[in-house]
Amino acid sequence: MRKKSLQLVSVTRVISVLLACMLLVTFSVSAGPAAKDQSKAVSKDVQDGKKVAFSRKKGNCLACHMMAGGEAPGNIAPPLIVMKSRFPDIKKLRAQIWDAVVRNPESSMPPFGRHRIISEKEIDQVTAYIWSL
Amino acid sequence: MKKLLLLLSVLVMVMGFSLAVHASPEEDRLVFRKFYEKRFPNVATEDFINGAYSIDKAGRENWEAIEEFPPYEPFMERGREMWEKPFANGKGYKECFPDGPGVAHKYPHWDKKQQMVMTLPLAINQCREANGEKALKYKKGSINDILSYMAFESRGQITNVVVPKNDSSALDAYEQGKKFYYTRRGQLNFSCAHCHLQNAGMNLRAEMLGPALGHTTHWPTYRSKWGTVGTLHRRFTGCNKQVRAKPFKAQGEEYRNLEYFLTYMSNGLPLNGPGARK
Amino acid sequence: MLIKYKLGILLLMIAFASGQVLAADQGKAAAKPQAAEKKAVAEDPRAAAANKIILAADAARKKAGSVGGEWRDTGKMLKKAKAAVKSGAYDKAIKLAEKAGRQGELGYTQATSQQKLQLPSYVTVLYVNK
Ligand code: HEC
Ligand code: HEC
Repeated sequence: MRKKSLQLVSVTRVISVLLACMLLVTFSVSAGPAAKDQSKAVSKDVQDGKKVAFSRKKGNCLACHMMAGGEAPGNIAPPLIVMKSRFPDIKKLRAQIWDAVVRNPESSMPPFGRHRIISEKEIDQVTAYIWSL
Repeated sequence: MKKLLLLLSVLVMVMGFSLAVHASPEEDRLVFRKFYEKRFPNVATEDFINGAYSIDKAGRENWEAIEEFPPYEPFMERGREMWEKPFANGKGYKECFPDGPGVAHKYPHWDKKQQMVMTLPLAINQCREANGEKALKYKKGSINDILSYMAFESRGQITNVVVPKNDSSALDAYEQGKKFYYTRRGQLNFSCAHCHLQNAGMNLRAEMLGPALGHTTHWPTYRSKWGTVGTLHRRFTGCNKQVRAKPFKAQGEEYRNLEYFLTYMSNGLPLNGPGARK
Repeated sequence: MLIKYKLGILLLMIAFASGQVLAADQGKAAAKPQAAEKKAVAEDPRAAAANKIILAADAARKKAGSVGGEWRDTGKMLKKAKAAVKSGAYDKAIKLAEKAGRQGELGYTQATSQQKLQLPSYVTVLYVNK
């Protein structure tokens, strides 16, 4: 039973990796050189944002949120998945990270921007990363 | 219909708010208790004295194994020696605590003469100083020995904090402790209630957040993280620091009032100190 | 014979290396009085500027503390800022002090915005449905 599910997991992994590659290929083929530069900058932000999100001293989002690839996450808050459909407007996502108390006065999420827990630049990076999830 | 419901719930909230703000300590306590009984309907109320282990099954097995060979025992033994040994002036703790060492359930209490909340560690040091001995430190060190011994001798006594009605300063102290508990602090912006009420039973990273009912029944406590026994105010210090707030002075007014409120919330629960925790 | 030869080379190498170190030390020693002189002749205006910001930040920290709103690391930041001034790292000192000052202000705002007890809704609701 365990073995089977493991196999299943690895099969789905392979498929998703393949799919991701295909997507990447079509994306880079269709994008012009200017768009390519931009997407490079974005992906740099995404990478840096991941570091900020996972670092215990900075975002430490894993203390409360489940996130893909993060170990031993907390379960205080909703898992951070399919963020583009939950936050079609990236500005609203940024605002949530900047100060969660605005939307929910009783929130236990730290106000990362208002209390300067991380810098504005790092908030941009984290936002980019979370939006990519 | 939806609007009506909204209106109704707003009404309830407003009512609740004004009720809660003018509530007596006893009303506060009943609500505090009910909060946990509702959230953890399968936990017997008395079991909350075991902290996070009342709700964390995996942690509990580990803890029960530790309690087989209690890590606080050597501290209790040293504490017994301290209790028996007279001070340089020939007197001893016995004269300060004529009812014997098993009196932890009488603390904290409102000291009318000194107009302040009296805690057991403070009473121990007042006893020492009155007899020409040096005061002990309030977080680490040998105060934990004597406290361990007295806690053990007090096992089974029932928490019974009183806020005397005839002295409004006592109620003020209680209210200040309550206010402290619900106030956001530190760069991370948490109140005690965020972790120990709102998120009780949830995991912060891999750590389960325990209920605050029963938080005061088992002090001092051996903590594996400390590698030793520490006081309740040392724990308060740690919980303030982890939200990046500057901690207050151990046995200062803020923490004593906090202890007054928090212990009142556990009225009716038996004492089970010294404790052992992760 | 061979061993003596090798030893000789080794000794030469050691002598050369220690000579280098000594020379470097002398260089440093020569540079030091100069720096001290500079300080003595005229206090660097940036030091005064940094000290002013540190003083203001410390006042902000104390103000937050007066309402129970001081944060954990503000005092440490100011200590580091003072040390930075001493070692001539003025930019670093100013940056740290500015950060500490903002923490003081934020901690003060945090505390004073909660002067009245605000019980959370999940608690107040229980006072009604007893
Ligand atoms: C101490 C716990 C905690 C930490 C740490 C935390 N959050 Fe949250 N977060 C919450 C809670 C609780 C919510 C639920 C909404 C609310 O109460 O504000 C939430 C909600 C969110 C939401 C909205 C989710 C939705 O679908 O509505 C986003 C996005 C989010 N957090 C991102 C982050 C990011 C990014 C980080 C790290 C930089 C982070 N959070 C760190 C507790 C936390
Ligand atoms: C960020 C979350 C957090 C906040 C805020 C917090 N604590 Fe804690 N506290 C913990 C964790 C985690 C533990 C260890 C697990 C447990 O027992 O809940 C703990 C343990 C304790 C304990 C020891 C429990 C025992 O069984 O021995 C006490 C007492 C306590 N906290 C009091 C407080 C008080 C008072 C405050 C407010 C000043 C506070 N805590 C704020 C997370 C927090």
